[in-house]
Amino acid sequence: MRLEKCWFCSSTIYPGHGIQFVRNDAKIFRFCRSKCHKNFKMKRNPRKVKWTKAYRRLHGKDMTQDSTFEFERKRNRPERYDRNLSENTLKAIKKIDKIRGTRDTDHIRRRMKGKKAKELREAHKELEQNINLVKAPVVLREDPSLTLPIKVKVSQTQAEPNLMEE
Amino acid sequence: MRTVLKVVDNSGAKKVMCIQAVKGKKGARLGDTIVASVKEAYPNGKVKKGKVVHGVVVRAAMQRGRCDGSEVKFDDNAVVLVDKQGQPIGTRVFGPVPHELRKKKHVKILSLAKHIA
Repeated sequence: MRLEKCWFCSSTIYPGHGIQFVRNDAKIFRFCRSKCHKNFKMKRNPRKVKWTKAYRRLHGKDMTQDSTFEFERKRNRPERYDRNLSENTLKAIKKIDKIRGTRDTDHIRRRMKGKKAKELREAHKELEQNINLVKAPVVLREDPSLTLPIKVKVSQTQAEPNLMEE
Repeated sequence: MRTVLKVVDNSGAKKVMCIQAVKGKKGARLGDTIVASVKEAYPNGKVKKGKVVHGVVVRAAMQRGRCDGSEVKFDDNAVVLVDKQGQPIGTRVFGPVPHELRKKKHVKILSLAKHIA
């Protein structure tokens, strides 16, 4: 039994699922479900279809290079059955999957990180510029508590002598 | 019946039309033997046009279920001509063949094939 990868979306194909298409040049295409199979028949390029792993890896959305991928390389030599080896492999698979999962989420979090500061800046700017959409400028002038606090730059020389005195 | 299949060995025929599935009322699928009539042939082949031959279906566009639950399908419908005993008439087979043939005891065709899907 071997867990294959879908040619289109790169998800694992478990036994009993999917269709294998053998082309006349003997290249085998495996699909996990009819969605991928139909996209293939439409001659879509998986590198251009946004929800596939191929697209995500190509555009840097998911991590591409990691040592955990080395464990999943296809080995064509069958291993002689060894009970200890099997047990250790099963334990290792779980651990490696967990590590890969955490590294994946880290990668995505790192990718999204710069956004919060940017969103704050944009919100600030929008409040400054477009507050008139919410309240009329007449009202703002009369009641200054509705505007944003104005930042006053305190010069450094004033702060230092105070510290020295203390 | 009436399905035109491509011949993928060097027996001399090019296109063959199915007349009857040898076994089964529901028709032949991947790996089954059929009785066929040669519709197109190379001029200097072992098999001439109009001859009635037996053939083994080695590629079918209709998917066939495998024991592990997966399904295989090929790009076209192809046949390898055999004699009544099941030995191939030609000496070469082109293109991929399925390993359903092993269960049907068409070992000679498997050994002649370049790729086994």
